[in-house]
Amino acid sequence: MSKQGYKTFAEGGIHPPYNKELSSDRTIKAAPVPAEVTIPLQQNIGAPNAPLVSAGDKVAVGQKIGETDAFVSAPVHSSVAGTVKAVEEITNFTGAHVKAVVIAVDTVQPEFKGEKRDVASMSPDDIRAAVKEAGIVGMGGAAFPTQVKLSPPKDKPVDVVLINACECEPFLTCDHRLMLERPGDLVEGLKLLIKAVGAEKGIIGIEANKMDAIEKVRAAVGSQANLSVEILEVKYPEGAEKQLISAVTGRKVPPGKLPSEVGCLVQNVGTAIATYEACSMGKPLYERVMTVTGQGVKNPGNFLVKIGTPISALIEAAGGLTDDANKVIMGGPMTGWAQKEFGASVVKGTSGIVALTPELVDVRDEVACVRCGKCVEACPMRLIPASIANSVIDGEYAKAEMYGAIDCFECGCCSYVCPAYIPHVTYVRQAKGKIAALKKR
Amino acid sequence: MAEKDLVANVSPHLHQRGQNIETAMRNVLIALIPAFIVAIIVYGFQALYVILVSMITAGLTEYVMCKILRRKVTLRDMSAMVTGLLFAFLLPPTTPLWVVAIGAFIAIAVAKQLFGGLGKNIFNPALFARVVLMISPLWLYIAKYAQPFFWKQAGFFTPVVTSINNAVSGRVVYKNVFTNAIYTTKAGQVLTSATPLSLLKSGKALPAVVTGPTPVGATWLTNAGMPNFWSSFIGFRSGSLGELSILALVLGGCYLVYKRTIDWRIPVGILGAFLVVMLIAWNHPLYQLMNGGIWLGALYMATDWTTSPLTKGGKWIYAVGIGLTIAFIRLWSPLPEGTAIAILEWNVLVLLIDRYVPVLRFGWTKRPLVNKLPFYAPTSEK
Repeated sequence: MSKQGYKTFAEGGIHPPYNKELSSDRTIKAAPVPAEVTIPLQQNIGAPNAPLVSAGDKVAVGQKIGETDAFVSAPVHSSVAGTVKAVEEITNFTGAHVKAVVIAVDTVQPEFKGEKRDVASMSPDDIRAAVKEAGIVGMGGAAFPTQVKLSPPKDKPVDVVLINACECEPFLTCDHRLMLERPGDLVEGLKLLIKAVGAEKGIIGIEANKMDAIEKVRAAVGSQANLSVEILEVKYPEGAEKQLISAVTGRKVPPGKLPSEVGCLVQNVGTAIATYEACSMGKPLYERVMTVTGQGVKNPGNFLVKIGTPISALIEAAGGLTDDANKVIMGGPMTGWAQKEFGASVVKGTSGIVALTPELVDVRDEVACVRCGKCVEACPMRLIPASIANSVIDGEYAKAEMYGAIDCFECGCCSYVCPAYIPHVTYVRQAKGKIAALKKR
Repeated sequence: MAEKDLVANVSPHLHQRGQNIETAMRNVLIALIPAFIVAIIVYGFQALYVILVSMITAGLTEYVMCKILRRKVTLRDMSAMVTGLLFAFLLPPTTPLWVVAIGAFIAIAVAKQLFGGLGKNIFNPALFARVVLMISPLWLYIAKYAQPFFWKQAGFFTPVVTSINNAVSGRVVYKNVFTNAIYTTKAGQVLTSATPLSLLKSGKALPAVVTGPTPVGATWLTNAGMPNFWSSFIGFRSGSLGELSILALVLGGCYLVYKRTIDWRIPVGILGAFLVVMLIAWNHPLYQLMNGGIWLGALYMATDWTTSPLTKGGKWIYAVGIGLTIAFIRLWSPLPEGTAIAILEWNVLVLLIDRYVPVLRFGWTKRPLVNKLPFYAPTSEK
């Protein structure tokens, strides 16, 4: 319990400027379909997909265009009807080079027609198969294949399914809008997830700054005994998987373990709704709701976007950049990727595009750590970010590992509060890379 | 779409407003304003001269040392000015200005820059310089304290400094810088004032000075210049420039805790541990608590970011350790006061504390006794 009187994780965390009011009252609109989409064949953690199409092929909306046999993977589907222009290497939003299918979009876009199914009669295996077929991944950002999460180890039964509806990242409002506009689908999705893993109950955790959504979802849950809504304190990173589990259930996932270790499964709002769509009408994950916002765009809003749409098209859909916009981020401002150019395309895990103005862009040269201990106070994993960063600066990666660099999930709280402007997250990533390399040797 | 010149760096892309080094340093300077005002009231403009010389010397030394060592000049973060002010606060009001300048130079040039600059120093620079002067040939200049309100005799704006005259008993006299006039009491005595703690230590004058058993609530109003409870609290007594008023120091300390510039655990740990020992030893506990530099040390010296531990557990160990050490020095060493030395001793241990005091990480069920870090870990890769 906290000052606000709601449940939260025990220690650490920050209160960044949320700026959600920029877009929280904008209803979800379909973004204009661009003339060309670029769909990366790898959009998630796990094995890359092999292309199923080649240049010149006609593709339909929802047609599978990439697949692999690996277990930790998710197929990708075409988000449009059109003609494959090329299957080539592109630079994605993180700067990595990945294979992608480039599709020239037809002028006429037929609607996707799925096969209606009765979700009540589906078995857990049916649900997993539908989720796998639809290529669903975690839509909060990490993009972990959902069907893998739905197959917990036999000796670790899951009894609680949590819906992560915190949306603790500043600026983003897509989950908020989904809860307001489609609370029924969310609850149906949650019920399917509960059934898939054989859990006893489902809890939807929503931060206290979305009271309207809490009301709507509570109404949709109604009197179903095994479902409930939990109001959570407004604090970043409330929606981080381990922090959410700790806040709602009090269970603590040990370092290096998965939520199934403590009998939990966490899914994001968008993922639950996608699961419902995949099961009820066989709709693959080829479009998603995302927020295009920030003081740097003229007309912020929430959009239903085809996967593969370039950033530039979405910025245009939000009225274009203002004159003073000086940073454009793919994802949320705490964990997203700053973009220099707008050619990269939206993937399944993209929850927003945020354009910032100098008012919030506070970039300075890093100076030496002054050992103030603010990062220690802010770290939700109870690590010592300063010691990890200093170990990496000294080139002592073994020491960085002992300080728990691997346990860091890169939420960025440490850098947010650092008076010396040290980019801890960069050092942690460097440490993780080196530690993995040292292990291999 | 025309792509503009955009900032592209790594996440997180937001930074807490006002969370930077110069804001923290400005907070410290603001917090020290009440103590500064008390120093001027009690010691006149002589206090201001000492403070100005110390701050200006510290700033100049910072600039010159950064240039010599080819470091980025860190003058704008104001940390050197804070060190200069804190160093001045550790000095008797009549310290000759050239001694002040030497001390401020040692603080910045040796204790800060030669140890690696901002964030790398092991010792609190101001305390380090104070102790270096204390064990140098200049020790006598900073060993004795003039009586409070001596400016009533010399004039509010007159610079009055310590001068050494071997013909006088005690060897210290106070003289007007311009006229060389020497100030004495009406009885012809030198205006020095023994500190309350040194009287306590010597034991001789104690019965006359400290009336009663001095448990809580006793009055200490006594002969010549010795403070009572309330004058200690408000600051109308003799002592170093910054340590005079407990009220002023606590006001500033509350501001820093409110601004989250310092961690409350450190002053609470130091004062708490100290008081507990003094209560057990029943050595005039309240009198001990209200005199000497323990409040200045606990609130402004021990809380220095760079020279205190990073973790909560480490901070408790460090704070309680300092409190115990001050108590032991005052009880069982020949020194009357031990705040400076106690803090410096624990400054040395901070790196070990940070390394071996474990934090209960998220998801851990029990805290290990010590961090399993090797005592010596050869660098794995450069």
